[in-house]
Amino acid sequence: MGQENLSAHKRSSAANALPTTNGRARSAPRGRQIQKTFNNIKITILCGFVTILVLRGTIGVNLSSSDADAVNQSLIEETNRILAEIRSDSDPDDNDTPFSPNATAAFSLGPKISDWDQQRHQWLQQNPEYPNFVRGKARILLLTGSPPKPCDNPIGDHYLLKSIKNKIDYCRLHGIEIVYNLAHLDKELAGYWAKLPMIRRLMFSHPEVEWIWWMDSDAFFTDMVFELPLSKYDDYNLVLHGYPDLLFEQKSWIAVNTGSFLFRNCQWSLDLLDDWAPMGPKGPVREEAGKVLTANLKGRPAFEADDQSALIYLLLSKKEKWMDKVFLENSYYLHGYWAGLVDRYEEMVEKYHPGLGDERWPFVTHFVGCKPCGSYGDYPVERCLSSMERAFNFADNQVLKLYGFRHRGLLSPKIKRIRNETVTPLEYVDQFDIRRHSTVSSESKSQ
Amino acid sequence: MLERCLGLRRLRQIQRACRRGSLTFLCLFLTVVVLRGTIGAGKFGTPEQDLNEIRHLYAYRSRRVEPHRVLEEAQPETTTNDANNYATFDISKILVDEAASADEPKRDPNAPYTLGPKISDWDEQRGQWLKKNPDYPNFIGPNKPRVLLVTGSSPKPCENPVGDHYLLKSIKNKIDYCRLHGIEIFYNMALLDAEMAGFWAKLPLIRKLLLSHPEVEFLWWMDSDAMFTDMAFEVPWERYKDSNFVMHGWNEMVYDEKNWIGLNTGSFLLRNCQWSLDILDAWAPMGPKGKIRDEAGKILTRELKNRPVFEADDQSAMVYLLATGKEQWGDKVYLENHYYLHGYWGILVDRYEEMIENYHPGLGDHRWPLVTHFVGCKPCGKFGDYPVERCLKQMDRAYNFGDNQILQMYGFTHKSLASRRVKRVRNETSNPLDVKDELGLLHPAFKAIKLPTSS
Repeated sequence: MGQENLSAHKRSSAANALPTTNGRARSAPRGRQIQKTFNNIKITILCGFVTILVLRGTIGVNLSSSDADAVNQSLIEETNRILAEIRSDSDPDDNDTPFSPNATAAFSLGPKISDWDQQRHQWLQQNPEYPNFVRGKARILLLTGSPPKPCDNPIGDHYLLKSIKNKIDYCRLHGIEIVYNLAHLDKELAGYWAKLPMIRRLMFSHPEVEWIWWMDSDAFFTDMVFELPLSKYDDYNLVLHGYPDLLFEQKSWIAVNTGSFLFRNCQWSLDLLDDWAPMGPKGPVREEAGKVLTANLKGRPAFEADDQSALIYLLLSKKEKWMDKVFLENSYYLHGYWAGLVDRYEEMVEKYHPGLGDERWPFVTHFVGCKPCGSYGDYPVERCLSSMERAFNFADNQVLKLYGFRHRGLLSPKIKRIRNETVTPLEYVDQFDIRRHSTVSSESKSQ
Repeated sequence: MLERCLGLRRLRQIQRACRRGSLTFLCLFLTVVVLRGTIGAGKFGTPEQDLNEIRHLYAYRSRRVEPHRVLEEAQPETTTNDANNYATFDISKILVDEAASADEPKRDPNAPYTLGPKISDWDEQRGQWLKKNPDYPNFIGPNKPRVLLVTGSSPKPCENPVGDHYLLKSIKNKIDYCRLHGIEIFYNMALLDAEMAGFWAKLPLIRKLLLSHPEVEFLWWMDSDAMFTDMAFEVPWERYKDSNFVMHGWNEMVYDEKNWIGLNTGSFLLRNCQWSLDILDAWAPMGPKGKIRDEAGKILTRELKNRPVFEADDQSAMVYLLATGKEQWGDKVYLENHYYLHGYWGILVDRYEEMIENYHPGLGDHRWPLVTHFVGCKPCGKFGDYPVERCLKQMDRAYNFGDNQILQMYGFTHKSLASRRVKRVRNETSNPLDVKDELGLLHPAFKAIKLPTSS
């Protein structure tokens, strides 16, 4: 009771005390309340601001376009996935028979044939509508090719396209047929060796073809008027660009070039192909052969056997057997190493004219070492690609001349008119058509 | 208890200090978080990177991370020779887009567009030339005219990284067909007239080629996205001896319905004669880029059935020209639909296996189409009208379908219509000339050289 009284007292005294404080505090607390409210609002705004900053840092502010972005993003991802699949080496039929190099059995391109000359001669006689000489010129088949999958980088495919257009133009002007190979006929002979089985196959399938002309995909025709002096090669079966001293004295691995050569369709060629092929099969055979070639040829770096070194080694080691039918051509650029030629195109246009085929106006400009289809070349990319573009346009100008156009510059994809349109276009056709200035035609027959 | 230890005032001080300290820590923490969110904190990353890592860890582990890692590993170690690396190269660095020089003849913008000065006696000029040049006859065999196949693409690399590869396969496909059928090819990479860019670029080119190659009897235009799928089919030239312009289409759809896809100008034959020059002149006016082409597009959308709204294209313009000028042009235009001079790919590509089972090459029609034309796919650009996967995979199939007919000549075939690999189907023998290829394409009759008649 006493305590209650005490507490009641306390309460009352507190109550009593309150009015006094209240009385004082009620006038001022309005101001203080407003201040407090302001403080609270300030803190709220500050906290809100900080929260937004933090959220923006984590999630981002793109709330509105999230849907479209997501769809776009998934489309782009899907497209990239498909493109990557196309450009990869994988194949839907990869699960059957994995490739295993057969090191024990001796490699052969096919069953040995010994009477090809007779077989072919007989066929030509039985099929007079397919002669091997058309209008006095021997029938030539140009063979070129590239790997079946897209290049490691897109610019490589673009230059393959320009290269084949360049070859189409030359061959149309000179009546040569083209076979573009995109298949590996023999798994063991892949890479630069792939041309061997293809040449052999074409010789058999086309007995009417007199010469098979292999040309690399990185070689461009730069003289559209020049024609092969085939009469020079009547007694020969293989025509290579090369130098006798480099080959026999120095035994250099670049003494000849197998980027552009001619093979006659005959038994001798089949025999040479059979002798050439053994260093080719992928795997230990090619590796070992590579070591032999590096040891025997001057200047050859260490890598697996390539067809060019193998041919040089063959011609050197079995000189008596083969060399009498091999013509080493260097009076014109059946193969022209690009580095010494591409900078001189403007000078050539000024001083010379097409039809020479030699260092004054090269027949073929061959971009050895550039490897635009791969990822890395032996030379700076900018130099290679700008040179290839220049060579392409240099040749294209010769084709466009008939139509009255030329490229604005050797690096320009655009063309400009050099001759006005007329109502009598045929006078220019007579003057500028390259075909009309070729060798005189005569009857077609088999010889 | 603490009160008794430290004293009330002390306790209050400590409490206040603790409160202030925690406030400070809170503020500091918030500052760090905000800074990390806005400017990042180096190797401590940013919240976005956190999110990405979490995503990588849980959702896309199998698909995204591994290929990425593989790609990184595959990069060669040497970073010194980046100048030799094709992957990092930008083609625009070397192509020089030179501006037109002052001495180039400029067309008067006020004068109506023409493809060139009007020629009225082309038939006579050409006839005389052919007489003077018997070595370049316009017929290379009885019923076999000299044909020039014209196709083309841009001189600049495709935007799509695999676009050039498909252009390459497409031209190889055409080279194969034309080699078998004795047809010459002209692959155009030049824009002859800047005003007629895009699908209209073929008009000045065709006119130029007709005038420069009088020995050519028929010019066969073919789009770069069209592929030959029947290597054995020879175009029935005698059927067109009275026609000058052959397109795939239907008479009712063009003349009666005025349907904008009543014919297709992706693959057509045009005879080298005065009539063709005239129709080219009549065709061209809707082409010039800019206002003319846009206005013409509106007219065409209005006049033709089902045409969407876009600038004038050469195909719609031809439909309009024929529909409105039937008396003038119709009697020399042959709208062919008995075989697929142009075959819309959408209805053909899924049936290739069925065709292989039931039919054989040489038919050219719905049973074995001559041409499969990938309209709308635009493999060279970045966006087409159809999904990328369908277009590219089907182009591969169509290419292999045609290529199989070439490879069988040599005893090979693709392992499947989707595969790039080939397998042998005919063993090598020691008498290669006794083996005949099934389709007789190695030495077909239509390629045989006319033998000189003995007199």
